[in-house]
Amino acid sequence: MQKKPFKILIIILAIIVGLIFIVPILWMLATSFKTDQEAFTAGLKWIPKVFTLENYQYSLAGNTDTPVLHWMGNSLFVGIIGTLIVLVVDTLAAYGLARLDVPFKKILISIFIGSMTIPWVITFLPLYMEFNKFGLLDTYAVLILPYSANAFGVFLLYQYFRSFPKELEEAAFLDGANKWQVFVKIVLPSARPVIWTLAIFTFMGIYNDFLWPLVTTNSPEMRTITTGIAIMQQGSFVSSPGRLMALTSIATIPAVLLFIIGQRSFIKGVNQSGIK
Amino acid sequence: MRNTSWKSQLTSSLFVLPYLLLFVVFLLIPIVYGAWISLHNWDLLNPVHEFVGLKNYTKIFNTDSYLNELFFEGLKNTFQFVVYSVPLLVVVGLGLALLVGALPGKLKGFFRTVYFIPYSVSVSVVAIIWLWILDTNSGLINQYLQKLNLPLIPWLTDMPWAWISLAIATLWWTIGFNMVIFINALNDVSEELYEAGSLDGANRWQRFIHITLPSIKPTMLFVVITSTIASFNIYGQPYLMTRGGPGTSTKVLLMNIVDEAFKQRQLGNAAAMSLLMALIMIIISILQFRITNRKE
Repeated sequence: MQKKPFKILIIILAIIVGLIFIVPILWMLATSFKTDQEAFTAGLKWIPKVFTLENYQYSLAGNTDTPVLHWMGNSLFVGIIGTLIVLVVDTLAAYGLARLDVPFKKILISIFIGSMTIPWVITFLPLYMEFNKFGLLDTYAVLILPYSANAFGVFLLYQYFRSFPKELEEAAFLDGANKWQVFVKIVLPSARPVIWTLAIFTFMGIYNDFLWPLVTTNSPEMRTITTGIAIMQQGSFVSSPGRLMALTSIATIPAVLLFIIGQRSFIKGVNQSGIK
Repeated sequence: MRNTSWKSQLTSSLFVLPYLLLFVVFLLIPIVYGAWISLHNWDLLNPVHEFVGLKNYTKIFNTDSYLNELFFEGLKNTFQFVVYSVPLLVVVGLGLALLVGALPGKLKGFFRTVYFIPYSVSVSVVAIIWLWILDTNSGLINQYLQKLNLPLIPWLTDMPWAWISLAIATLWWTIGFNMVIFINALNDVSEELYEAGSLDGANRWQRFIHITLPSIKPTMLFVVITSTIASFNIYGQPYLMTRGGPGTSTKVLLMNIVDEAFKQRQLGNAAAMSLLMALIMIIISILQFRITNRKE
């Protein structure tokens, strides 16, 4: 049994640590409602003296150099389509490798697993050149396709399908179902939790990626929210903390809310992925 | 079901084909193509790419060449960040997991969420928030220091503060992920071991050293290796927060590679640098794996 003073001490410590994680976000929100003049004046005002929405209005006005909502749309679009592609090709490949009579199966599996140890920096420049060659820089293709080669999902699902009991599939085959029907009707529904895990990992990876979308896009309407904000930070918002903080708040709040709702699945996913 | 006629093999192959295609086009070909580029004098503006063999690599190791400095200065800076951040990412991650574990049941989920929230924001938001907090004149921290009559800290403009700032921002952003992995591992440590330990008269600290740590060793290795790889790949934080400064002291290897490729347009050099960087990362991962598994 834990003693009471110890318990209280732990709770106090947890609250102090929690403040460190929350204060930066609160300070961002506080600044976003301030005029720039007040933001720059010394004085630790957590509640703005002059409460203004001007920063938000400016950022959301859809100026041609800051199409914030369009950027968020890009990020969502790229993240969702990229994730869907990964889910489709990875579940198919993993099932084939785990259960079907694919030729050269063993070699393929070792190549795919081995590829996960290759640092991403190796493919970065040649991938850029590849897309450049086909004139696909600054398009959605360049923002979506490169993520589909990652073998993590194939490996994750392969492990799951191997441990999945064979009896159900065999019964279906006896009933005259073909491979595709078995895959769609029996295997996929059973794998829903693992697929969900892979979806969350993949989406967050694409949504938060920085360097790749930064170098492969250059027109304002092709930016993702991550790179768009970075460009505003170095460009026209550089001397306006209020606008910058409004911009980051707009980008952050939906992500944080989604994350709080989805984090249980995410944590379950970490557990399931066998990261131990 | 075990029908291995060519027809069955063909339909089975169709399952693997789409991924295999993407794998070849977006991973295998780039790897080979990158090696190929690194063997050429490849100027982005010049359509003729002269084959130079291993010259780009020898230039990196030749102290007379600017590439030598570019590569090894960058590598040194990257290493510094790894040394600053990885121990913190591991120790603080484990510390938070233990803290959450020690909380009463109802509060566990709440604080786990709170510590995990920054993980959901993107690197540019992280950079902007922390730039504003660490600003020398109007930053939150320095304003509080001023209030307490303490000397102001040049967070982003002086060494080693610039590294510390980058490490703080990175820690704040990513530590929640390591914490979740550790919480998961701690939950798996057998309750019986702890009970046996208590019966033998082991106190909290002894139980931690002799029961908890050995039980979570594989997780520890995983967190060390992934944190090291992530720290090697750092780009956004120094690019946005310090812009490689003061001077070039936080200009990491990846920044130098990107500059060599897109500012100097010397793709051959940059490709050779990327390959060497990847090689170093692989060697370090193998070493970490070996060292941890030898202590058995």
